[in-house]
Amino acid sequence: METVGFLLDGIFTSLQWFNLALLIFGCLIGLFVGAMPGLGSVNGVAILIPITFIIPPTAAIIFLAAVYYGAMYGGAISSVMLGIPGASTAVATVFDGRPLAVKGEAMTALTAAAVGSFVGGTVSVILFTLFAPPLAEVALRFNAPETFALMVMAFATFVGLGGDDVPKTIFSILIGLALSTIGLDLITGKPRLIFFNIPGFLHGINFLVLAIGIYGIGEMLWTLEETKGKVQMSKLSVNMNEVGRAFGALKKTIMAMNIGSFLGFFVGILPAAGATPASLMSYGITKQLSKNSKEFGSGVPAGVVAPECANNSASTGSMLPMLTLGIPGSPTTAILLGGMILWGLTPGPLLFTQEPEFVWGLIGSLYIANFFTLVLNIALIPAFLMVLRIPFAILAPVIFVLCVTGGYAPTQSLHDVWLMLLFGFAGYILRKLDYPVAPAVLSIVLGPLAEKALRQSLILSDGSMGIFFDVSEKPIAAVIMYIAIVLLIMPAFGPLYRRFFKKKQTA
Amino acid sequence: MSIIKKLALVVVSLSLVAVSSVSSAKPFSPKKPVELIIPAGQGGGADEIARLVQGVIEKNDYASKPVIPINKSGGSGGEAMTYVKKKAGDEHTLIITLNNVLTTPVNQPELGIDFFNDFTPLARLITDTFLVWIATEGKNTAGVETFDDFIDLARGNGLVMGGTGSMSEDELLLGMMRGQFGFDAKYVPYSGGGAVAKGLVGGESDFTLNNPSEQMGFYQSGDSKALVMMTPERNPAFPEVPSSYELGYPDLEYYMMRAFMAPAGIDAEVEKYYTGLLHTVYHDDEFQTFNIDDGKLMSWLEGFGLKDFLAIEYEKHGEIIKNFN
Amino acid sequence: MSITNKITVKRAEIAVAVILALCSIALMIKSAENRITWNAEENMGAGFLPFYLSLGMLICTTLTIIKFVLKRSPQSKDDTPFIDAVAFKFIAVTIISLVVLVLAIGYLGIYFSLIFFLAFYLRYFSEKSFAFITIFAITTPILTFLFFEWMLKIPLPQGISEPLFYPVYDFMYGGFSFAVKMIFIILTVVLPTALVFLTTRFIK
Repeated sequence: METVGFLLDGIFTSLQWFNLALLIFGCLIGLFVGAMPGLGSVNGVAILIPITFIIPPTAAIIFLAAVYYGAMYGGAISSVMLGIPGASTAVATVFDGRPLAVKGEAMTALTAAAVGSFVGGTVSVILFTLFAPPLAEVALRFNAPETFALMVMAFATFVGLGGDDVPKTIFSILIGLALSTIGLDLITGKPRLIFFNIPGFLHGINFLVLAIGIYGIGEMLWTLEETKGKVQMSKLSVNMNEVGRAFGALKKTIMAMNIGSFLGFFVGILPAAGATPASLMSYGITKQLSKNSKEFGSGVPAGVVAPECANNSASTGSMLPMLTLGIPGSPTTAILLGGMILWGLTPGPLLFTQEPEFVWGLIGSLYIANFFTLVLNIALIPAFLMVLRIPFAILAPVIFVLCVTGGYAPTQSLHDVWLMLLFGFAGYILRKLDYPVAPAVLSIVLGPLAEKALRQSLILSDGSMGIFFDVSEKPIAAVIMYIAIVLLIMPAFGPLYRRFFKKKQTA
Repeated sequence: MSIIKKLALVVVSLSLVAVSSVSSAKPFSPKKPVELIIPAGQGGGADEIARLVQGVIEKNDYASKPVIPINKSGGSGGEAMTYVKKKAGDEHTLIITLNNVLTTPVNQPELGIDFFNDFTPLARLITDTFLVWIATEGKNTAGVETFDDFIDLARGNGLVMGGTGSMSEDELLLGMMRGQFGFDAKYVPYSGGGAVAKGLVGGESDFTLNNPSEQMGFYQSGDSKALVMMTPERNPAFPEVPSSYELGYPDLEYYMMRAFMAPAGIDAEVEKYYTGLLHTVYHDDEFQTFNIDDGKLMSWLEGFGLKDFLAIEYEKHGEIIKNFN
Repeated sequence: MSITNKITVKRAEIAVAVILALCSIALMIKSAENRITWNAEENMGAGFLPFYLSLGMLICTTLTIIKFVLKRSPQSKDDTPFIDAVAFKFIAVTIISLVVLVLAIGYLGIYFSLIFFLAFYLRYFSEKSFAFITIFAITTPILTFLFFEWMLKIPLPQGISEPLFYPVYDFMYGGFSFAVKMIFIILTVVLPTALVFLTTRFIK
């Protein structure tokens, strides 16, 4: 009961007028930064750390929470409107958000993203308040073998994502994984695949470079070919009917919301995982469980709701390992963690008991930030839709500028801009030949996490894969692994299943 | 290629000399924001100090232009060092060091970094200490109360040590301990000090060699305990942890230096300016309090003293690496 | 024109598959610079995963080639042009201008390169007036500068144009009051942007 009191205190604190003004300002900055390809909450939060030396810590936390949530929403905006994921957490949003926008239902996609995010944020705050201490214990026991099992499960949920051409789909997965091994090998400390000794490869291939290349440059080339530079990006009408229809479409996405919120939260609290695998897994599982899974990828609201719900839910969840274990789940939480240390707070198991005002103030302001971002988002939808009204000939160079700056900003190296151009061009050619590109993007996101966990586990087990299947020693890892294997095998039986059962139904 | 590069360097340095002789009348102050390169990822010890320095400078207006921290974590700092090497003569670039500036040039000779000629050392502000940590409820380390208990245990059994990455400071330290105490351990690399600390308390590893700040949260909650601090004296932040000298192991002494360097070929004026700026930061109350509370040692060093120190450390690390391999 | 007709989907498919196979082999060779074994004594070497991943890539591309030879994939029977002539021109111009842009960024710095890129691209692809293009090409880099360098404090490459920005930095971080800076921003950003909007409305 005490925690609820602190939480309410946190909520009321963030509703004071000064804090509220900061909050709304923070949400706007976050939305904007999040919507820029290549920039994410990490950039927004990083610039704010020095500012927080000037304003009081409580206000600073509220500001930071607002930027954090704003950026989470913002990522979806560029995913839907431009087809470029604004951040890794919004990759899965592109899969269905972009087709919706192209079909002329950008309104539905944006509403679905905003509402989905809000639901995810709400559920996660409730779960956080109710179960934080026991969940911290779970997070502590979630080590390398468990993480690897989870990664296998994430891949398993995506088996069905590729195209019909099996060798090309597998190729796409493998090249993503191979690209993700470039750079310094954490385990042996040796540089790997440093082509021509170019120092730029030492930091590996940032996922954003591939995503912006493929979805930004590649998509633009694709559109350029389709339209020959003449046609507007999509048709557009905003009226109240449209708004009503958008909300109506959400009724069918309740399952996606449930999956996204709960799965997102539980994946989010695991230290190594975070919001990106959460949103990807949520998309994959929603698709597999959905009745109309064939339509996923061609623009269904549930395909937007699932990842958006999950990434917001997970970003609240990922506060848990940060606060209780001092482990940053993402670069953003890393900077937040740095900020906390500078404010004189020590992250660790005692934080909840020693600094309850801080912890619950943060969670409370996350919640309020979540609410205000929803309001702002819905209010700003007409403004976002104006992007679609810009003629293609003007939008295209602007997108190229965004891609170039977005490719440069995360690592500050021109090398990555070249790589981005290369990936954009290659992605365009490969896509024309029916090589699916989404699996490559997924595997470059999950690859490093999976490899690290796999090899750490193998050191612990002296090279035996048995560590992942030992129910008595590592029950969590084993259970997740078996579920993953079932998920992997299921699609193979899918056609058989349909052959035997569906026919009976129709007959 | 290399001849052209050398020629270019000569031209650049000549023109710099020419420019500097003209403009040396006015004392230097930065003309644009200063890039502070961090050869490690976000959230690590170096990152924390870099952002603290940025904050202190910004809050008190110590400099006319802001300092912008930029993380270049690739290749154990190799990427950052190559970047700074290429910036020879640039007056708006600084780099904060970890000990990887001492090890990476040796471990990755293909980068072509010459530790003594590619950088201009400015000042050392802080040295961070290392401690041997075990989990209070560690299943393999139950009953271990002192460092000597620990050595006895470690000699008999293959313990698992969590560390911050292969060939990083703590693995070298493990190598040192292996030679001194005759035990070996299985080394599991993680991606940062925080993850290492969590792996210890989560029961995945049996001991770690963390910096104080990385274990502080678990230490305060009683989930982990330190057996020895690798310094001559006890630290006020950990009053009950004995120093290695007390225990009779004066060879077990190791530090992480947090120094700042500029690229090679900068003017004496510029060097003076940045050293002065760092000195102001060093004596800032907030900076002092934060670091002392965090168990770090305030250890200002500049000029020839710093150069000597770096030369000794470089040689020492070369030795450690040689023994390790 | 005839080149684009000669490059059929069929030919593109096999060419790309062969290139990818060669890339896979190159990756395998490059991976083998590190230890690629995994056995009981030594744990997985640094090159193990990249090596077997690229081996897998090679197998996949080989399968694609086999499918092509057996005419099992839709692309292997497709004699239509891979890309039509008009689209090819657009795409070639876009890619070349992007490459030139990135080359220019390294030398001239991003802000000035963007002016030339935007001016060229808009001139080539849109029918906008000279006035519109000028304003647009100048406003965009200014906005980029303010957003990245001022708000986010992310320095973008400035190449040889760097000294030109020193006075700007002096102004940004000088002792001017917030109000003066805001008025300056309004003058440099809002006015040209408003002009762009006006010109889009009234000038074709």
